[in-house]
Amino acid sequence: MKIKPSIDFFEKKARELRATCVQLAHDGREGHLNGALSSVDLLIALYYSWMNIDCVDVKNEKRDRFIFSKGHACTSLYAALADRNFFPKKLLLEYAKNNSPLPSHPCIHALPALEASSGSLGHGLGMAAGMAYGLKLDGKAARVVALLSDGECNEGSIWEAAMFGAAKKLDNVLAIVDYNGVQSVGYTDELTGGASFEEKFRAFGWSAVTINGHNIPEIIDTLEKFPFELGKPSAIIARTRAGAGISFMENQVLWHYRVPSKEDVDSALKELEAKPIY
Amino acid sequence: MRKAFAETLTKIAIDNSRLAFVTGDLGFQVFDDFVKKCGPRYINAGVAEAQMIYTAAGMALEGWQTIAYSIASFATARPFEQIRFCVDYPKLPVVLVGAGRGYTYATSGVSHHAADDIALMSALPNMTVVIPGDPGEIEQLLPQLVALKAPGYFTVGRFGEPRFEAEEPATLGKARRIRSGSKIAVISTGEIINEVLAAADVLRKESITPHIYQMHTVKPLDTHALDNLSGEVRAFLIVDEHLPNGGLWSAIASWSVLSGQRARLIRLGPPDRYALGNMQRDDLREKLEYDRTAIINKCREIWKTL
Repeated sequence: MKIKPSIDFFEKKARELRATCVQLAHDGREGHLNGALSSVDLLIALYYSWMNIDCVDVKNEKRDRFIFSKGHACTSLYAALADRNFFPKKLLLEYAKNNSPLPSHPCIHALPALEASSGSLGHGLGMAAGMAYGLKLDGKAARVVALLSDGECNEGSIWEAAMFGAAKKLDNVLAIVDYNGVQSVGYTDELTGGASFEEKFRAFGWSAVTINGHNIPEIIDTLEKFPFELGKPSAIIARTRAGAGISFMENQVLWHYRVPSKEDVDSALKELEAKPIY
Repeated sequence: MRKAFAETLTKIAIDNSRLAFVTGDLGFQVFDDFVKKCGPRYINAGVAEAQMIYTAAGMALEGWQTIAYSIASFATARPFEQIRFCVDYPKLPVVLVGAGRGYTYATSGVSHHAADDIALMSALPNMTVVIPGDPGEIEQLLPQLVALKAPGYFTVGRFGEPRFEAEEPATLGKARRIRSGSKIAVISTGEIINEVLAAADVLRKESITPHIYQMHTVKPLDTHALDNLSGEVRAFLIVDEHLPNGGLWSAIASWSVLSGQRARLIRLGPPDRYALGNMQRDDLREKLEYDRTAIINKCREIWKTL
């Protein structure tokens, strides 16, 4: 299932997925674009290059497990899943509608291809660690990835999971922190004291690196080095920009919530030089 | 009861190689035999109840059945969100075990009191809530609950509680007839049944012979048994070591209103207050008037009016 395409292909895909996020947010009347747009390049690297995925047998035992822990930002996840044929693209029209398989926060009852529901923050890494422990006990080689928001790392439960992962030597777990710097009503560094994520994960016994979360080749190169150290869980601190790729949205708290108007969508698509995939 | 729990758990785990046990750093030496026989299926998550639930849930997502264990107050209230979102909502085969519910740890203070656990766990739509009263009920009910392969809450007392005789075996989801009688049905859950039975022994000498039922499964409530009893008795006496909201009393009171049954409904149990004062459990039960003496007096009083 792996694709070995050019950088141009990845960058074009990233622009299409960003266009899809903006369109989804407009059509579904649900915001959360900041975190969706900041996560797009990470999802491209994961879903188009590094992860073992199977869009037909979605519960294939050998698949890599992926938990999109920052559930509110799920337009980017849905766009990637649709584009990778986990479901028909026209299903995106149902985003955030009544009885939709694509609710505004991902639900495994609505979309069984998911590993876990999300929307309540702080749970993805702990569950990933539990899955990783279960996989190790079974001698299975699958890897478990949790994509976290930086704001989500305010939750104490993330650090319980970090301790557990190190104590149990879960080198089959990868945490990716989408460090876009912007939370729901404030800035991450102001709310956490600004201590380094990389140093925090290291202090908890993880092997951690900081990278540019919008440089797709750099993300893929880093993923290919997983596990960074045998016997330790790995963390990638991905420096990103909230609202990345759309100049009038970047790095503003406002676009955590705001639903884009028709005019906003038009300007965004023009700047991206891309169309939504549905 | 804890010995019965550890032994039953080990027995189940030997038969079921997909069962794993996660503790929140509690149960010193209690599970040594499990560790000896089941090795890596014993997992200490540390004093980290959120991670205890995540581990149980994550493993369940990978095809394991898990039991998560802590002191009842720390097992329920502390990681409530994790239980709701990561176990109950996805309907995973995780049984949460709370040790020392009610006022088992009365002298340890409010931190260790779990007189709200049934309310918390019953509020969750997929949860089966089972509160055994003696080692025998642990041995009978734990395998039944694990076999459901669904979210469950199960409690375990301390060490050395007595075993009681009953007219029926314990069946998950069914009110258990302990002693047949007439006119009054005394219904309890968990180990307060020992106070009820001590009271019944005294009352029998006075020819006061209520039915004694143990409602070990509080959710789903056996309304069928209650419907049948309501046609026969004139009063229900509910003895409930739980705060007034959301325990066995609440469940039966709700049933009563919805069914339109006519028998009197009387509660003995602690009031809606924190139990301050560092009292021994027996003294607390006496002070709050739901010990054997209170049960005897209440039964005498009701019996006279019938």
